[in-house]
Amino acid sequence: MIEDVKSISEIKKITEAIENQVSSYVVGWEGVTKSLIIALLTGGHVLLEGVPGTAKTYLAKIFSDSLSLAFKRIQSTPDLMPADITGSHIFNPKSMDFEFRPGPIFANVVLMDEINRAPPKTQAALLECMQETQVTVDGVTTKLKEPFMLIATKNPIEFAGTYQMPPAQLDRFMSRLIMNYPPRGAWVEVLKRKNDRGEAVNVKPLVKASALISARELIQEKIKVSDDILDYIAEMVRATRKLPQAVLGASPTAAVSLLMASKGYAATVAGRDYVTKEDVRAVAFDILNHRLMLRQEGPSTPSEEYGLVRIRGVIEQTVKAVSS
Amino acid sequence: MIDSIKTIPEIKKIADEVIGEVSKHLVGVENYTRSLITALLVGGHVLLEGVPGTAKTSLAKVFAESLGLSMRRIQATPDMMPGDITGTRIYNPKTLEFEFRPGPIFANVVLVDEINRAPPKTQAALLECMQETQVTVDGITSKLQQPFMVIATKNPIETEGTFPLSAVQLDRFMFRLVLDYQEKKDEVEMLKRKLGKRQKVQAVVKSSTLISAASLIHSDVKTNDEVLDYMVKVVRKTRGFPQAILGASPTASVALLNAAKGYAALVGGRDYVTIEDVKAVAFDILNHRIVLKQEAMYSPEERDITGMQQIKSMLSSSIESIKV
Repeated sequence: MIEDVKSISEIKKITEAIENQVSSYVVGWEGVTKSLIIALLTGGHVLLEGVPGTAKTYLAKIFSDSLSLAFKRIQSTPDLMPADITGSHIFNPKSMDFEFRPGPIFANVVLMDEINRAPPKTQAALLECMQETQVTVDGVTTKLKEPFMLIATKNPIEFAGTYQMPPAQLDRFMSRLIMNYPPRGAWVEVLKRKNDRGEAVNVKPLVKASALISARELIQEKIKVSDDILDYIAEMVRATRKLPQAVLGASPTAAVSLLMASKGYAATVAGRDYVTKEDVRAVAFDILNHRLMLRQEGPSTPSEEYGLVRIRGVIEQTVKAVSS
Repeated sequence: MIDSIKTIPEIKKIADEVIGEVSKHLVGVENYTRSLITALLVGGHVLLEGVPGTAKTSLAKVFAESLGLSMRRIQATPDMMPGDITGTRIYNPKTLEFEFRPGPIFANVVLVDEINRAPPKTQAALLECMQETQVTVDGITSKLQQPFMVIATKNPIETEGTFPLSAVQLDRFMFRLVLDYQEKKDEVEMLKRKLGKRQKVQAVVKSSTLISAASLIHSDVKTNDEVLDYMVKVVRKTRGFPQAILGASPTASVALLNAAKGYAALVGGRDYVTIEDVKAVAFDILNHRIVLKQEAMYSPEERDITGMQQIKSMLSSSIESIKV
């Protein structure tokens, strides 16, 4: 098990080890695993969006098991209360006192399944956790574990009993990763492995939390970003605000996410200590896709990938325009 | 740290230092900070309106910290109840009595995020706090902390699950500050600062000083009849706008007077109000108090969803046309 990280090139090694292990269990989502690692190492949170049964929960579980991190899962329901997540003060008749019983948010990786089924107040309770890595219950603020990362899953089809996530809340997620049906080849492979292995899961923890924390610091402090790149990032988000199709473009928070994710990409994928324009382009779709609100143009149909086809087109067009 | 104050010119120093400290952490917010400190010292509350990610929350937070004031943040949601803001009485089995658990309103600066997502009853619970600096729970009234200020944020794009603020409610806010996307160079600068280590915000003034500064402004800044007359003209003119169904209220005149006094002391270091002071604060005070006719809201060439451009041009030409 890796206990410490001293250089950027080691971060790349860690990434590869995790990716290998995860892909031996989960088929067809290598890109998603990569993005999860980037978010973990740059302090981001991730929204996994996809139709039911595309291994969103399974992937999150295998991912965090590979890291020897504390993992907790919360299944959202319309009657879930904030205290179900944060914990609450319970009266202990023996000591005649209120005691704090920490909720499932006190873990390193918290999986919030079907986040849009939780009522708004409960969704909002997550915001403080996501932004400040702390939680306030009955006026008492407690720090969460480090590293802390929220992985939320969401179904693109909004059923009765779901609460739409407002744009400000979506904006707190570094990236939205799309997990709709994998290609047919991968599908066959999934069934083959299920047949061989059954339900048995025996994931080896590969990296200690301490190593992840030092990797985070290395990325924050050692990866260089030139003025050219900062300019490129600013141009990219600003271009989305001027799109005639957009009601709402990417926010300044999006620019910050783009910067952080590009640094993460440079370290984890290339093992480099500086960011290039290719790095920015590589993460752009994941960072921007949930932050654009496009004008309605007739009803969207499932064949359009739940409206994603238009967004993909708009982002590609923007990236191309600012790169030329 | 400024720990006592005796004269009006010293008040200007508070404003300069606070703006200096806030600018170390946030880019391009000098004018907003100036308005916030003005509101704080004349007992006003502020509505910050802007699309997600325009640093509304950070601004409120850094502002409160630079003044050494306690700050609490409330994320408004459609299922939030008044008790979530004010606090509630909880039965304590040990003492066999109901105990008051104060809510997040008990702080100097209270940030209410996305206020228009709170249901009307909860929005109304804020009103007593804003007007009387006190809160009544189960018939028992408690005084709030001094100084006290509500900073509410609001997204101009109203999505599903929002309750528009009524005209009366908007009238309780001294200023509405409209935050737009930053200029490109500021956005690049903001990204650049994210690369370095995060610095702690220093408190530059004692809270007792703020209280004496507030009473000094109230008692010592003079306003002559000519300026008062000018203020009344500015406000009355908004009531005759042909494009509007509602103009500014008498509360607006009072807000204009108080804000102009604050501006004279904080920005001019003067103990008398000039016409220029009134002009400087007029737009921020009047913009949310004018209700446009439906047909005036949507100008075909501009993307002016909130009618803000329209109000801006109406107000500036109206103020220019007043002869002194």
